[in-house]
Amino acid sequence: MAFPAGTAAARGLACCHVCFKVAPEALHHCPRCRAALHLRKPDSLQRTIALVVTAALLYIPANVLPIMTTEQLGDATDSTIIGGVILLAHHGDYPIAAVIFIASVLVPMSKLFALSWLCWSVARSHSASHHERTRLYRATELVGKWSMTDVFVVAILVALIHLQGLMLITPGAAALAFGGVVIVTILAAESFDPRLIWDQLGEAHD
Amino acid sequence: MIARRSERLLGNGLSSVSEDPTACIECDLIVEIGELKPGQRAACPRCDHVLTAPAIDGLTRSLAFALAACVLLVLANTFPFLSLEAKGLEQVMTLPRSAFELYRDGYTTLAVLVLGPIVGIPALMLGTMMALLVPVRRGQHAPWLVPAGRFFFLLSPWSMVEVFVIGVLVSLVKIGAMASVILGISFWAYVGFAVCFTASLSNFDRLEMWRAIEACRA
Repeated sequence: MAFPAGTAAARGLACCHVCFKVAPEALHHCPRCRAALHLRKPDSLQRTIALVVTAALLYIPANVLPIMTTEQLGDATDSTIIGGVILLAHHGDYPIAAVIFIASVLVPMSKLFALSWLCWSVARSHSASHHERTRLYRATELVGKWSMTDVFVVAILVALIHLQGLMLITPGAAALAFGGVVIVTILAAESFDPRLIWDQLGEAHD
Repeated sequence: MIARRSERLLGNGLSSVSEDPTACIECDLIVEIGELKPGQRAACPRCDHVLTAPAIDGLTRSLAFALAACVLLVLANTFPFLSLEAKGLEQVMTLPRSAFELYRDGYTTLAVLVLGPIVGIPALMLGTMMALLVPVRRGQHAPWLVPAGRFFFLLSPWSMVEVFVIGVLVSLVKIGAMASVILGISFWAYVGFAVCFTASLSNFDRLEMWRAIEACRA
């Protein structure tokens, strides 16, 4: 594979992921911070795709199973993520319903689609704009952790609403699955190497 | 675009490699960053990624905000965070106790998943930051500088301080329908902590930090 002219990799130099030092890749370890040096993140596409698939699978129980159970005077009600959004919208709390919908549905879904598309576009040498794809990647990196909102909300409700005999909230299995989705998608975004997008400039000149 | 360029010092793609070249971590272009005045930023001329943006007195400010954040984080864990009143019953929640209750009820993973990104990891990051900034600002070498620097940047994607603040606000609205909620001292301390922590991180430039560590070792 030919790296495009002007890049560090074209000279056999690797940019350290931890401290941004540029050093010959032949050294294997960064002379400044001793982290492992690679021209590109190792097996970036395979790892990203594997993590995206894992997150997509975890996303199923996260939505099907209840995220919390509310026990009110002996009555137990399960609620799912989507159920919670619908309930909030019914009460007229549209801004909060929107926050939960964006954080729990829109962000993880678009993150998974964006990362899959980025991997596909790199593997297939798709000719989409390098700038736009880089911006898309930055956006997926930036928004990822905001999905955690709903898990925090559940944890707060569980901790706070603990009124014995009156009202009790317990977390459901979906809370854990959804936390897993957030962690795995953050790992997926970290394992994708945006430099692969720009490496296509080298292929075009071959 | 012109206005944006004037505030940035654009790096030049160079044909020859100097002593300490930098490459854009997002597109791998070799970029030569000249002397930057504090407050200036260097962006990659090809993909616009900000390579370094050392703030004015960045490392000193970063340490000052980190100290403030430490004090506020201790306060946020000591006093009531939220309390709830419904039908004559009162429930007070503190951050450590809420995690302990999750643990006691058998939700250990969830307790770690929640308290880790909002208290544990930020606390470790603050500790690491002090261990780095105190010697580096004096230009002293310390044997832990390199491992501490690596540890810090390993932790940084996992801090979710600002997300938690939004989470609290959402839960306030959710509970508000059922009972009256009182914001405790610790809630305000946590908001202050989130502000100071973010300010500390935004003054902590990664490339500047590593170059300073390298200068201390030399």
